[in-house]
Amino acid sequence: MNPGKNEKIDQKFSAILEAAERRRKAFTETPVPKIHIGMATCGIASGALETKKAFEEILAERNVEAIIHPVGCIGHCYAEPVVIIDHPDSGFPPIFYPEVTAGKAQMLVKLFLGEGDPRFEHILGATMENDLIPSLMEFPRFNQEKRVVMEKCGHINPEDIYDYIAEGGYSTLAKVLQLSPDEIINEVEHSGLRGRGGAGFPTGRKWKLARNTVAQEKIVICNADEGDPGAYMDRTILESNPHQVIEGMAICAYAVGAHKAVVYVRSEYPLAVNIVTKAIGQAEELGLLGKGILGSGFDLEIDVFQGSGAFVCGEETALIRSIEGYRGMPRHRPPYPVQKGLWNTPTIINNVKTLASVPPILDNGAAWYRDIGTENSPGTAIFSIVGNVVHAGLVEIPMGVSLRSLIFDICGGIPNKKKFKAVQIGGPSGGCLNEDFLDTPIDFDSLTEAGAMMGSGGMVVMDEDTCMVEVARYFLDFTQKESCGKCTFCRIGTYHLLKILQRLTKGEGLDGDLELLETLSRDIKAGSLCGLGKTAPNPVLTSLKYFREEYEAHVKEKRCPALMCRALTAFYFDLDLCARGCDACATCCPVDAVFTTSNRKKGVDQELCVKCGECLVACPPEYDAVRKVSPPNLVPFIEKIPDKKEEGR
Amino acid sequence: MLLDLTAEDKHALENIASKLTTLKKQRRNLIPILQMIQKELDYLPRESLKMVAEHLEIPESEVYGVATFYNQFRFHPPGKHRIKVCLGTACHVRAGDIILENFERKLEISEGETTPDREFSIERAACVGCCALAPVAIIGETVHAHMAPSKVEGLILRIAIEKEMAEREKQKNESGQE
Amino acid sequence: MPKLRVDGKEIETKQGTTLLQGCLDNDIYIPNLCFLESMEDPSASCRMCFVEIEGEKQPITSCTVNVKDDMVVKTDTPAVRQLQRTALRLLLSVHHVDCKHCPANKKCELQRIAKFLKVGLKPKGLERYLQETEIDRNHPFINHYPNRCVLCGKCVHICRRQHGQSVWTFAQRGFDTVISAYGEAGASSLTCGKCDACVKICPVGALTFKDVQEDG
Repeated sequence: MNPGKNEKIDQKFSAILEAAERRRKAFTETPVPKIHIGMATCGIASGALETKKAFEEILAERNVEAIIHPVGCIGHCYAEPVVIIDHPDSGFPPIFYPEVTAGKAQMLVKLFLGEGDPRFEHILGATMENDLIPSLMEFPRFNQEKRVVMEKCGHINPEDIYDYIAEGGYSTLAKVLQLSPDEIINEVEHSGLRGRGGAGFPTGRKWKLARNTVAQEKIVICNADEGDPGAYMDRTILESNPHQVIEGMAICAYAVGAHKAVVYVRSEYPLAVNIVTKAIGQAEELGLLGKGILGSGFDLEIDVFQGSGAFVCGEETALIRSIEGYRGMPRHRPPYPVQKGLWNTPTIINNVKTLASVPPILDNGAAWYRDIGTENSPGTAIFSIVGNVVHAGLVEIPMGVSLRSLIFDICGGIPNKKKFKAVQIGGPSGGCLNEDFLDTPIDFDSLTEAGAMMGSGGMVVMDEDTCMVEVARYFLDFTQKESCGKCTFCRIGTYHLLKILQRLTKGEGLDGDLELLETLSRDIKAGSLCGLGKTAPNPVLTSLKYFREEYEAHVKEKRCPALMCRALTAFYFDLDLCARGCDACATCCPVDAVFTTSNRKKGVDQELCVKCGECLVACPPEYDAVRKVSPPNLVPFIEKIPDKKEEGR
Repeated sequence: MLLDLTAEDKHALENIASKLTTLKKQRRNLIPILQMIQKELDYLPRESLKMVAEHLEIPESEVYGVATFYNQFRFHPPGKHRIKVCLGTACHVRAGDIILENFERKLEISEGETTPDREFSIERAACVGCCALAPVAIIGETVHAHMAPSKVEGLILRIAIEKEMAEREKQKNESGQE
Repeated sequence: MPKLRVDGKEIETKQGTTLLQGCLDNDIYIPNLCFLESMEDPSASCRMCFVEIEGEKQPITSCTVNVKDDMVVKTDTPAVRQLQRTALRLLLSVHHVDCKHCPANKKCELQRIAKFLKVGLKPKGLERYLQETEIDRNHPFINHYPNRCVLCGKCVHICRRQHGQSVWTFAQRGFDTVISAYGEAGASSLTCGKCDACVKICPVGALTFKDVQEDG
């Protein structure tokens, strides 16, 4: 490599940048209204395609001129489909509209674009400070976030490379191609960036190891095999801003001396696969990938490999086996992939978020990055927060924010006036923390110390109606199904754990089950071959530690205190409250378990009831007659009179 | 496992055979090839595993071993209407399993199975990524948000009625042509 | 030749060998199921051969460590035995214990390890979960008994070594993982008629030649 100023690179890049800025200028300066629609998977799942179609149709029908600008995900899943309308002539700033259905789309075109009335009742906020409409920045959700990785997500069209370049994209690559690899690695090391895949290994050190490995060929892999149920930040980043990841990969490849790279995406993410593939093609066309990138001597070819759906392939060695065309079973490390990886070539594997952090770090400098977050965990963390929170979605916050402010300020707390009970952090390999931990700062070390982990960034918030035994069973069900089956502890051990937990949730727990869960969990952690097995018992161990009474109630009293385990609960109607002749519950029951008593009130046939809770929802609030109890034998006896009509037939 | 192949499937298999000849005989192509076949046929018939084994010159058992490792691959044809019930964490917390059970009960098949008339199949999906809409079920390409057990019957009924209407329409057209 | 201290005894081993092999060569028995000396990358899947090495916090599988001069090793600590016993109990919990009718009776590795670790063959505490298929007859000459199999993978390894590629493979995943000869029933090119490597190497009697009486 020939570090140092290279004017050829600057020239080539400024030509590209000029073209991008020209386009951007034309786009921003036109008085034509712009309609930005969030079109990532979450938006589409909520109906963004219909919304887009409705906009197109009504614009054509009314002959209104406007530009529809598909963008990625802004992270506000609770508000999907999300639309931002920028109507310069109206005098209003760009406005953020949540939950824009097809009908709302038509209305907004008619009234806002047509008559200049922004329909205040549908507005969430303006995207910039102004005198007319409250700004989004007044919401904690917006002003407590700090976006490094997702900064451009939701603003740019992920399928248009010029959109990214106009926002400063690829300028870092052009800059660092004129530095020596060691300079780059030093900067990354100084930034303190830690791997965002879960373990938090220092990225700079990883790159240095790869750089110092002497080999003809080296390979960079971007790990986007996100399999954690309920975590989707990697997908969102790839769908919303693929070029930032590609730029990060190119920088990494240049720094470690690789000329081949692979993006490993799950095939369950078809949109992400398409967008990344397209993005690679666009980057090649502009000479930002391929032979002699930007006129330098550096070549890089990036392929996309579609993972076939095995959670264990998130583990480096299993991921490598699956690209090679084998069963994705992990192998013992060492040797580490950095010594002997894909096709026995030294391989460096980084998570999507790690790679996407690299361009902003090298652009703004290590010191800037160190200023964000905490001493030992600089930068930001991205969580997908789901479960019982008001504002579910993706959040990027500086490390060090407390769980309390993340859950209660940024995400709006627990809905329906319920009480917070627990939060599961780090997905199926993470741990369940109770309210004593709400003031724990979010960073790699504090979470690990508390018994959870950063993991992939899945976060499930649970309210008082959630049974921790059932939640542990759910996660074990997942990991047990995803165990690769190679090693004894994980293959058979997790199966036993699951069976015991199933037993408990059915009220068939035995004396000694809790002790068995504990010892087995500890042995599985110590004895398993790979990370999946070593972490699989975490949800069991942490919930046993913090919610032991709940486990004991299941074993000793066959009672589920949270009234969640279906085998341990039962429904009945309080006959003092039940209204004569009302049929709300009976009509909604999917299994016809509701019968009418002799005085035309209702009873539940416990044999038929599947405990879905529909009647509880259907019962008019003025009666509020449905009761749920545990254990089931608390249900009073209500006589069922033989159905005469049925018999008469 | 040995379901009779439809004429359509046979044609598709021939199609795949010719596509295979253009792909390099490299082990690393095994998973992409299997993905290609499944994309064409929606499942991997036994014959296709054999074709792949012969093309890559590896034992058929190796192909089988790899195919059965990954969740993506299916060995039975799915139903015309594929019902996927999301059991991601958010959907689970909001009782996605009860939705799944309702579909199973109404269609009288279990998750992973197809009805004998090949109309419906039920699958569990890991997170489909619309956690704020939980619980969620997907039928074909359509996402049904905020599912409730009582909505299950209606959804199935609607598909049945649509089918009936389409058939009547067809009959009408046919009789009209005569 | 590296010299190391195992359980207080000075031993000498070959250069570049694994700790497990080094101990076995010196008549120090460490329970193991999936290890073969000739393996390039030991699969380390049975999780039996744990030892404690000075300087390491946790027990470590001895098949994945190469011998080093002055290594200090203990094969008989409570932590090691705890893991070994749990691993064995787990294997036995999915094993059809019917030694009387098993051809491996008295030469079975599970019996040997159970005796060594003083664990009964029908340990209490864990439920037993057996597979529905008692005998898989897919292979033209050899029957496979999934409920005897410990999934050590030695058959897969030895077949590949002797014939370039293996008739046996791991199939399915997780708890359902099995050894399978799928699709080989009609294969005419099989050399299995003359080769008994997999049957011989199986530590537990999960592979047996079909005999006339049984299969008629």
